[in-house]
Amino acid sequence: MFNRCPAALRAATIVMFVLLWALIPTSGAAQAPPAALFPAYTAPRTADGKPNLNGIWQSLTTANWDVQAHGAQPGPHPEIMGAWGAAPGGQSIVEGGEIPYRPEALAKKKENFEKRLAPKVTNDPHRYDTGEPELQCYRTGVPRANYMPFPFQIFQTASEILMVYEYKGAARTIYMDPHREAPTDSWMGWSNGHWEGDTLVVDVTSFNDHTWFDRAGNYHSDELHVVERYTPISPYHIKYEATIEDPKVFTRPWKISFPLYRRVEENVQLVEFNCVPFVEELMYAPVGLYKPPSK
Amino acid sequence: MRNRVLLFAALTLVIVVVLYAPGLAAQAPSAAKRIDATAIDPEAAIKAAAAAAKAAEDAARNWTPPRTAWGDPDVQGYWLTATYTPLQRPATLAGKAFYTEEEALAAFKKAVEVDASVNPSTVHYDWKEYAMDGWQSPVRPNRRTSLIVDPEDGRIPPLTPDAQKRQAAGRTAAQARNPQVGVQTLGNLYTRCVTGNNAGPMLRGGNPGSDSGAAGVTAEAQIIQTPGYALIIAQSNDDARIVPLDSRPRLPSNVRNYLGDSRGHFEGNTLVVESTNFIVPGTNFNGGSAAMKLTERFTRVGPNTLRYEFTLDDPSTWTRPWTAETIFPRVDPPLYEFACHEQNYGLMNVVKGAQVSEAEANAKKD
Repeated sequence: MFNRCPAALRAATIVMFVLLWALIPTSGAAQAPPAALFPAYTAPRTADGKPNLNGIWQSLTTANWDVQAHGAQPGPHPEIMGAWGAAPGGQSIVEGGEIPYRPEALAKKKENFEKRLAPKVTNDPHRYDTGEPELQCYRTGVPRANYMPFPFQIFQTASEILMVYEYKGAARTIYMDPHREAPTDSWMGWSNGHWEGDTLVVDVTSFNDHTWFDRAGNYHSDELHVVERYTPISPYHIKYEATIEDPKVFTRPWKISFPLYRRVEENVQLVEFNCVPFVEELMYAPVGLYKPPSK
Repeated sequence: MRNRVLLFAALTLVIVVVLYAPGLAAQAPSAAKRIDATAIDPEAAIKAAAAAAKAAEDAARNWTPPRTAWGDPDVQGYWLTATYTPLQRPATLAGKAFYTEEEALAAFKKAVEVDASVNPSTVHYDWKEYAMDGWQSPVRPNRRTSLIVDPEDGRIPPLTPDAQKRQAAGRTAAQARNPQVGVQTLGNLYTRCVTGNNAGPMLRGGNPGSDSGAAGVTAEAQIIQTPGYALIIAQSNDDARIVPLDSRPRLPSNVRNYLGDSRGHFEGNTLVVESTNFIVPGTNFNGGSAAMKLTERFTRVGPNTLRYEFTLDDPSTWTRPWTAETIFPRVDPPLYEFACHEQNYGLMNVVKGAQVSEAEANAKKD
């Protein structure tokens, strides 16, 4: 066909195809906002001259239910929880839509989902075999902490950046100067950070293998390595990106992104969500250790 | 290729220099890991603590408290809340608010020795094997005989009749529960991993003569300041308290937190933090009610020393407010993750054990 077309038309056709290609949605993914939506932005500075990320932030995704695209679902106990227990539908925060699981790992993910409501309260590490971690008020790990449906607050100093999450009151330190070595594996991992222009880049390592990415059973091993990028794109928005690498579970690194929104309500503050008392009956009653104090 | 040869030659030169450098060669045998004597020898720890207390006193002379870049008093750092000083003054020391320097050191020495010794037939954890005894931290001797400085007798003021009634009712309810041992009835907020040792007032007081965490394990706390906020994170349970420093209104009284709701301001060089809205029953320190107000004062008094004072005020519980005070020495970073509830094997074992004991006792009765 091209042979019979004038060169100009041929070029125009190619341009059109390229444009069309760019417009094809990638598996319905809703990720960080397109750059064109936000004009170039330079964040205000802290006393030590770094981009100022201090404030209360929150994501507005449904990734905590499933980081991949998902339709609305009834809850696990519709007979008592009705619409309260149901899960909202939402688009994927995963670039390209799919998580590149190894075949055996995909089977494990499905098993996780099937056994998500079956916490195993034992005296040994088998307690982490089944049961979704959030259900049991466990720390969520990173990046999940950033897309929980709860706000978190950033406290920024020259040597350390602290992030305090309303969910469980979990605190996390990002060592800026000096960087520090992880003493051992942990739930929230170990974070060292640096600035690349206006972007805070955080290298997170030394995770244990007990956290999941969501309630859908997406998971990782203790070889998880996360690199986060926090880029302020307006006074009220941070572009959040994370690259996730775990050769035991995934065939290649994959990426998530979404905006963080500044909470701007007057006098906004985190309100304690200490969920331990909320899960004691769920966890300890089946093993005969829960007796309500009122009885 | 030529470059590689040059590189090889350069590396060889470096290696030769390192091997033959007399200073470095002499150090080689001592490369084996050295353990600080204060971590394994109570005597060494006592001497070091006395020297550190003296050094802190010297350093505090002619010293100007620092300010943050935006002009607030700077109380930031990693601080140790551990102490061997009891909260209340023992009866044997009635009328004596301060030790002499020699007496203070002798009391410290005695407390350390009691802490370090264990009865092998009953010990569950020998904390010093985990470097978690108080004396293995930079805890310092104290010239005060009690942490309570007001009232003057160093004792918690008498309970009001209302508080006495509440406590009696609590005891009756506990007895009526038998045999109903469970995590919520046997466990406390700390063993259930709801809050840590520094929730509420950051100071509990040592109990010389008992091994109930005499100086307090995992007693570190970090304070961070940003414009408009202070953040206080306790190592124990990772309890994080966010303190707005503006004069914003408090949360309404129906919103309750285990760590309370805190507001802060500065008075001179002192950060003053006032907390209310505590959950009751919960962080009801020494029986406080829902009306309890906690006021804390953080003041830098030396390059490596923070003075900490707290006042508990609750007219429905105590006949008057009371105040305790001590100093927090600076400690090295970092804090560690305190994921307590995530692996709370201890609570399960203790409750199970109590249930077995209870069943055995009941079987004997029948």
